[in-house]
Amino acid sequence: MSYKFDFTFLLEKWPIVLNGVWLTVQLTIMSIALGFILGCICALVRVYGGRTVRMIVGTYVELIRNTPLLIQIFIVYFGLSSIGFKLSAEVSATIALVINMGAYTTEIMRAGIQSIHRTQLETADCLGLTRLQAILHIVLLPAIERVYPALSSQFVLLMLASSITSQISAEELTAVANNIQSETYRSFEIYIIVAIVYLILSLVYRIIFKALAHMLFPRRRKLGTPL
Amino acid sequence: MCLRSKIVVTLMLCMSSCISISTQAHSDVLDDIRQTRKIRIAIDLGVPPYGMTDEKLQPTGLDVETARMLAKDWGVEFEHVAVTGASRIPALQTGKADLVISSLSFTPERAKVIDFSLAYAVLRTVIAAPKSINLTSLQDLDGKTVGTVRGTTHDAALTKRGPSGMKLVRYEDDATEAQAFLAGQVDIFSTAEMIVPQIDKKNPLRQVEMKFVLDNNKLAIGVKKDEKRLLEEVNKWIAENLKSGRLNDLNKKYFGSNLPDEILKQ
Repeated sequence: MSYKFDFTFLLEKWPIVLNGVWLTVQLTIMSIALGFILGCICALVRVYGGRTVRMIVGTYVELIRNTPLLIQIFIVYFGLSSIGFKLSAEVSATIALVINMGAYTTEIMRAGIQSIHRTQLETADCLGLTRLQAILHIVLLPAIERVYPALSSQFVLLMLASSITSQISAEELTAVANNIQSETYRSFEIYIIVAIVYLILSLVYRIIFKALAHMLFPRRRKLGTPL
Repeated sequence: MCLRSKIVVTLMLCMSSCISISTQAHSDVLDDIRQTRKIRIAIDLGVPPYGMTDEKLQPTGLDVETARMLAKDWGVEFEHVAVTGASRIPALQTGKADLVISSLSFTPERAKVIDFSLAYAVLRTVIAAPKSINLTSLQDLDGKTVGTVRGTTHDAALTKRGPSGMKLVRYEDDATEAQAFLAGQVDIFSTAEMIVPQIDKKNPLRQVEMKFVLDNNKLAIGVKKDEKRLLEEVNKWIAENLKSGRLNDLNKKYFGSNLPDEILKQ
């Protein structure tokens, strides 16, 4: 065991690490928000839509869920710019993450929506709710409530997966770590630090999602059933 | 014994066995090479003509041939360790490889963490861009986006000496950087001189050309720090083969030119 740990480079480098953390947070919050909306719409289409749109959404979901995220990122970054859409690495990364997030959310949300019995919708009809009101209040919110644990762990997974966007030069946390590693050659130390930072980020995200659930689902709060 | 103390004892046993294994492995790399009759050499195969693969997907290139030659002269088996530009030095530090022969230029920063042998070849790094862009010096890069490869000497040179208004975009390896240039994500990029004609061949429409030289780098073999005996053996081998002209022949084969005098007469 001849390895000597040396963390002194951090004194000088911590502002760059913070920059990386900030970009990781921006990337993931954007992709979680947009990907979630995309996923909800696709899930509703997959359950209630006509045959053709169901087929289209099904193809999208299976295509994305059965190919690696890295390849999807490369296709958006290199592919789109080859045919003339020049996007920065950060924008390409966000687009790829949203598309990926959307596909996984579709499947999770579909499970939630299908768990709402159709008599609920019939009741809403009888009570004179419009179709949109019924879907929003009777279907969507309870559906989210049922699959919330699966959703929030998918969100955290996406945050962790965002580390591979360093491959297309998005300067997020992992890219910053690689830069510092290539300057200081303190690979062991910097990756330990970055692992801890990711861990803290994950925990913070989980706490935020818990707090959100507390606000969104008052029924659960009253019943005292934990999420 | 309760369950918890059993777990603690098992863990301690595991840890102590780990430590004893690793102390054994750290005796002396040269001894290990001689004992196992095998030398593990890290080479990045994404940097033609230093490291590349031939039509049969076998590793070849100046670095690979140098490595094979050294292994053969020492009478040991050559084992290739795949690395990227940025993982060359960690591969040495973590003991994944015995030597790095991978277009590794000498820099003072690197010399702090690994030892360098005598130089065996050279590598010029340049700034390249399409014909339509006019660039003559580092100052012309102000306000421009410039692609580079993370952890290379040209990355370090641009990070240190580039103008403050320049935006540096770092890719993981030469192939990704070339792809980014060909796809139009970057127009100006830093690279090794011999890579420019290869990119031009891939897509002549981009009209890529060398603009100016960033650095003249001496390439050396990387040895883990404080492996004095191994370093001595490597230096002896390089000196012998510079004298006999075998290393110069390799350079001629891949670049069509002789090694510069400063290398031949070290």
